[in-house]
Amino acid sequence: MSSFVADRGMVNAQTVRAAAPMPDILPTASARGGLIGFCRRNPTIAFGGLLLLIMLCIAVFAPLLWTKDPTALAPALRTREPGARWWFGTDMLGRDVYSRVLYGARVSLLVGFSVAVLASAAGLFIGLVSGFIRSVDAVVMRIMDGMMSIPPILLAIALMALTRGSVQNVIIAITIAEIPRVSRLVRGVVLSLREQPYVEAAIASGTRTPRIIIRHILPNTLAPLTVQATYICAAAMITEAILSFIGAGTPPTIPSWGNIMAEGRALWQVKPYIVFFPAIFLSVTVLAVNLLGDGLRDALDPRMAKRL
Amino acid sequence: MWAYVLRRVLATIPVMAVVALFVFSLLYIAPGDPAAIIAGDQATPQDVERIRASLGLDRPYLVRFGAWLWDIVRGDLGTSIFTNLPVSHMIRQRIEPTLSLMVLTLILAVSIAVPMGVVAAWRQGTFIDRLVMGFAVLGFSVPVFVVGYLLAYIFALELDWFPVQGYTPIARGFGPWLNNLVLPAIALGGVYIALIARITRATMLEVLSQDYIRTARAKGAGQGNILFLHALKNAAVPIVTVIGIGIALLIGGAVVTESVFAIPGLGRLTVDAILRRDYPVIQGVVLLFSFIYVLVNLVIDLAYTLFDPRIRY
Amino acid sequence: MDRRAFLKTGAAVAASGGISAPALSQGAAARTLRFVPQANLANFDPIWGTQYVVRNAAAVVWDTLYGVDDKLEPQFQMVEADQVSADGLVWTFRLREGLRFHDNTPVLAKDVVASITRWAPRDPMGQMLAAIQNEIVAVDDRTFRWSLKQPFAKMRFALGKNNTPCCFIMPERIAGTNAFQQITEYVGSGPMRFLRNEWVPGAKAVFTKFDGYVPRNEPASWLAGGKRIMFDRLEWVVMPDAATASAALQNGEIDWWENPIPDLVPVLRRNRNLMVDIADPLGNIGSFRMNHLHAPFNDVRIRRAVMMAMNQEDYMRALVGDDTNLWKTLPSFFTPGTSSYTEVGGDILKGPRNMDAAKRLLSEAGYANQPVTCIVAQDQSITKAMGDVTADLLKRMGMNVDFIATDWGTTGQRRALKNAPGQGGWSMFHTWHAGADCVNPAAYNALRGTGDNAWFGWPTSAGTEAGVAEWFGATTPAAEKTAMDKINTAAMNDVVYAPTGFFLSYTSWRRNVSGIQKGPLPFFWGVSKT
Repeated sequence: MSSFVADRGMVNAQTVRAAAPMPDILPTASARGGLIGFCRRNPTIAFGGLLLLIMLCIAVFAPLLWTKDPTALAPALRTREPGARWWFGTDMLGRDVYSRVLYGARVSLLVGFSVAVLASAAGLFIGLVSGFIRSVDAVVMRIMDGMMSIPPILLAIALMALTRGSVQNVIIAITIAEIPRVSRLVRGVVLSLREQPYVEAAIASGTRTPRIIIRHILPNTLAPLTVQATYICAAAMITEAILSFIGAGTPPTIPSWGNIMAEGRALWQVKPYIVFFPAIFLSVTVLAVNLLGDGLRDALDPRMAKRL
Repeated sequence: MWAYVLRRVLATIPVMAVVALFVFSLLYIAPGDPAAIIAGDQATPQDVERIRASLGLDRPYLVRFGAWLWDIVRGDLGTSIFTNLPVSHMIRQRIEPTLSLMVLTLILAVSIAVPMGVVAAWRQGTFIDRLVMGFAVLGFSVPVFVVGYLLAYIFALELDWFPVQGYTPIARGFGPWLNNLVLPAIALGGVYIALIARITRATMLEVLSQDYIRTARAKGAGQGNILFLHALKNAAVPIVTVIGIGIALLIGGAVVTESVFAIPGLGRLTVDAILRRDYPVIQGVVLLFSFIYVLVNLVIDLAYTLFDPRIRY
Repeated sequence: MDRRAFLKTGAAVAASGGISAPALSQGAAARTLRFVPQANLANFDPIWGTQYVVRNAAAVVWDTLYGVDDKLEPQFQMVEADQVSADGLVWTFRLREGLRFHDNTPVLAKDVVASITRWAPRDPMGQMLAAIQNEIVAVDDRTFRWSLKQPFAKMRFALGKNNTPCCFIMPERIAGTNAFQQITEYVGSGPMRFLRNEWVPGAKAVFTKFDGYVPRNEPASWLAGGKRIMFDRLEWVVMPDAATASAALQNGEIDWWENPIPDLVPVLRRNRNLMVDIADPLGNIGSFRMNHLHAPFNDVRIRRAVMMAMNQEDYMRALVGDDTNLWKTLPSFFTPGTSSYTEVGGDILKGPRNMDAAKRLLSEAGYANQPVTCIVAQDQSITKAMGDVTADLLKRMGMNVDFIATDWGTTGQRRALKNAPGQGGWSMFHTWHAGADCVNPAAYNALRGTGDNAWFGWPTSAGTEAGVAEWFGATTPAAEKTAMDKINTAAMNDVVYAPTGFFLSYTSWRRNVSGIQKGPLPFFWGVSKT
C-alpha cells in the first residue's frame, strides 16, 4: 500500500490501475502454446484484440468498403434516414454518414496509436534519464508534477489554442498531456529496480549504465509500459473526440467521430442517427482498447490480475 | 507531524510555479499581438507601439513573468481580449455552477462507487463482481457527451423528469438547484464512478486478505461490520487518494458536460474562449483549475494522518 | 404535524428567507421573459459593433429619434416635431418632453448632438450627411439644428432606420467616446435597462423595465410607436447548441427562441404549447463576402468565376432544407417581393452552373494557388452551413482553401482587419442581411462600393456608387427603379459580394406569450406573458 502512496503522482484513471508494484521479471507469455490456447487463457485480450482488429481493418480498407467520398456534399439529399441507399443516412449537408464514420475510424485510430507510441517513447526516455541521473531527476520531476496538476484535457485544450486545428497538432497536444504520467511510471520502475540486489550488483561491478538499462531495466519496464500505452491509446481517442466536439480539435473539414457528432448534435432530437453511429463506433473502439489493456495487464502481471 | 505539514505545503510551491510558468508562456508564445488587438482596427503602427509599451509588452520574458505573477498574486488575472472584462470577474460569475456540478458529482460518485467496489470485492468472482467490473470498463469507454445526450433524451425529453439544460443558483433554493444538476452530475460521474469502484474493489481485496480481518471473522464479527468498519477504514487511504487524483477527470469532463447541458460555468467559458483564442481567459481558467486540483490533493495528503494513524512522517 | 402548525412553520421559514425562494421565483417567472437570441452578446456597443445581435439588444436599451414602422416608413420617436427650411438645407428638431436616460437625467439636445456625431462616421448615410454638413448644434435643451450644404431627403429614414448601426441616443459623456472604440458604460434611453452586473458574455444578458420611460401614444409598430414593456425582466439566454435550445423551449424553460433551425421546426410544430411562424416575411439574403483588397479576390475575374460556379440551390438547401417555400434563388442583391425588386444584370447567377467556364476564368486570371482564407463561424447554423458549401465549391474549382473554423464573435472582429490573409486578415466570410435592409439602397451598407470606406471586404465599384447617387437623387418611383437596375448590374459585374440566395427564418415561442411582431428583429414591446 505504501508503494501506492509513493506512486500517487500518477493522475489518470488508467495509470492508477497500472501503478501497483511491478513484477521483477517479464513472464514469458509468448512461450505458451498456440493461438487458440492463448485465446482461451486470455479471453479479454482475444475479444478486445478482435474488436480492435476489425476497427483497424475498417480504417485501412475504408475506401473498399462501399464508401463514397466522405466530404462530398449533396445538399439536395440531406438528412435522409438510414436505409438501403445510405446505410447510416445522410447528414445536414447530404454527406454519407456511413462513409464519414468509416473514414472517421482513421482519425481516431491514428490519434490513439500515435499518442500511445509517442507518449510512451518520450516518457520512457524522460523516466530513464531521471531514474538514473539524480541531478536531472529533481528538476524534471518538478516539471512533471507541475504539468500533471493541469488536468490533461485542459492542457490539451490550452495547447490547441496556440495552433491551428490539425490532426498532427491534436496528436502533439494530447501526447504532451500524457507524457508526465508515463515518465512517472517509468521512473518508479527504475527506482524500484535499482534497489534489486542483482542490479545493485551490476552497478557495483562497474557495468556501464547503457548496458544496465538494456539488460535489466528495459525488459522490466516493457510490461507495465505496454499496459500503460493501451490505456493512453484509449484515453487519447476519447480526448480527440472531446477536442473535436468542442471545436478545438481536428478541423471540421476532416471527418472524425468527434466532428461528426459535433455537427449532428443540433439535429440530435430529429436525426439521432448522425450522432448515434459515430458514438457507437467510438465507444466500441475505446472499449476494445480498454479490454485489451485489462487483458494485457492480467497476462503480463499475474500479481495484479487477482486484484484489479 | 507539523514539520511534515509544513514540508508538504511548501512542496506545492514549485508545482504551482511550474504551472504558472507554463500558463504564462502560453500567452507569451500565443500568435497574435495583444497590443494590436487592443488598439483596434483603426490604429496606426505608432498607436500599437505606444500601447505595447504601456502594457509592458516590450520588456524581457522574465521581467514580464514576474510582473504577471505579481498581478496574479493580487488577484488580477488580466482582461479578456474579447469582452474587455476582467478575467477574474468572468471567473467569479461562472464559478458557482462549475463548483456545484463538481461537488455534487463527487458526492454522487463516491456514494455509489464505494459500496459498488466493496460489494464486488466481497463477492469476488460472482455475477455481481463481473457486473461491477463490466460497468467500470464501460464507464471508461463511453465518452461523457454520449452519456449526456442519452440521459437528456430519455430523462428530460421523453420522461420529462428533469430540465434539459440550464442552472439555478443555489440561492434560489436547494430543490431547483439539485433538479438542474442531477442529469449533468450522472453523466459526468460515469468515469469517476468506474475509477473509484475499481480502486475500492482492488484495495478491499487486499485488505480482506489481511490477518486481522480473518481474526475479526473468527471472532464472529458481523459481515457488515467487517466490511464497512474494519476493512473499508483500512482501505481508505488509497481510495481517498484516487478520489483526489480523479478530480482531474471531473475537471476535464465538466468542460464537455457544461456544453451539453448549457450550464453557464467555467467549462462553457473555456469552450467559448478557445474558439475565440481568448488567451487571458484560457490562462485564467487553466490556472484556477490547476490550483483547485493541487489544493484538493494537498488537503487529502494532509488528511492521511487523520485517516490512517499508522502513517507517520 | 397538523395543518396549522405546518402553516406556521411555513410562515416562519418564509420569514427567514428559507425555502420560500422557489415560490417567489415562480411568481417572478411570469414577469420574466426568457429569450434565446440568435447569437452571443459578446460586446454591447451598437455603434462600434454592427452585428445584428448587438443591434437587437441595443434596441430595447436605447431609443432612436425616429423609428421605422412595418412599412419601413420613419415615424417620430424621440423627436416630437421637426421642421425643414424651404431650401431643404436646415433641419430643426424638437425632442419629446419627459425623455430620460436610465441614470434619471433628462435627455438633452446636446446628448443627441453627441450621439449623432459618434454615429455618423460609422454609417454610410451618416457619412453622406457628415460630408454635406455645415454644423449641428443644440439650440436649447429640447431643440437642435442641423444645417447642410445640400438637401438630404432621407434624413428621417437615416435617423430611424433599423439596419446597423442605428442612430441610438446616449448621454453626451458616453457618446463622446471615439466611434472606433467601445463604450464601457451602458446608460440607455429606451424602455429597458441593461443590467451590466448580470451580464455573462457567452451565457446571458439581463434587462429590466425602466420605469422612467414614457412611451408614445401610438400603437407599436417595429421601431415606431409606443414601446410598452409588459413584463419586468427580460433574460437573454445564450444557447449555441440548437438541440439544447429546442429542448428547453419544449420544456418551458425558455419562452421565445429567436431562430430555430428549420430541421427542428417539425418537432416544435408537433408541440401544442408552442407557436412557430416565419420571423419576417422580408426574409434574409445570404452573403458570400470576398476581400477585394487581397489576392485572390482582388481580381474581379476570380470573383466572377465564383459567381459562375456557385449554386445558390446548394446553399439554400444546406441552410433551410427541402421546403422550397422557404427559399428561392436570387439573381439580385435586393429583397424579392418588394415593389422595386430587380433582377436586371443578374444573369451570371441564372441558369445551369458552369464549372468549366469558371475554371477557365480562374486560370485566365492567373490564379496561382494563393490560399483562400475562409473565416467560418461554427456557432451560427447559417454561416456554418454556407461555409461548408463554399469550402466544397472552392475545392471543386481547384482553389486552395484555408478553412478557419471560429465563432461568430471572432468573425466580427477579424473581418474588420485589412491585413493580408496570411497576416491575420481573411479572404472571405459568410454573413446574411435582413431583407428589410435590402429593399433599396438607402440603408444597404453591404452593397456600397466605396472602397476603403465600404463595409468589410472594401469593394470598389464606381458603377454601383453612381447608381446609388442616382437613387438618392431620384424623385419618382420609376427613376428609383432605373437606378436600382443600374446598381444591380454594376454590383453583379464588380461582384461587390456574391448573394447565396433568399431565405425565410422561423421564430418560435410558447403559447402563453403573445404580441410578437413579424419583423427583421425581435421587438419586445407589446409582448406579454401569462
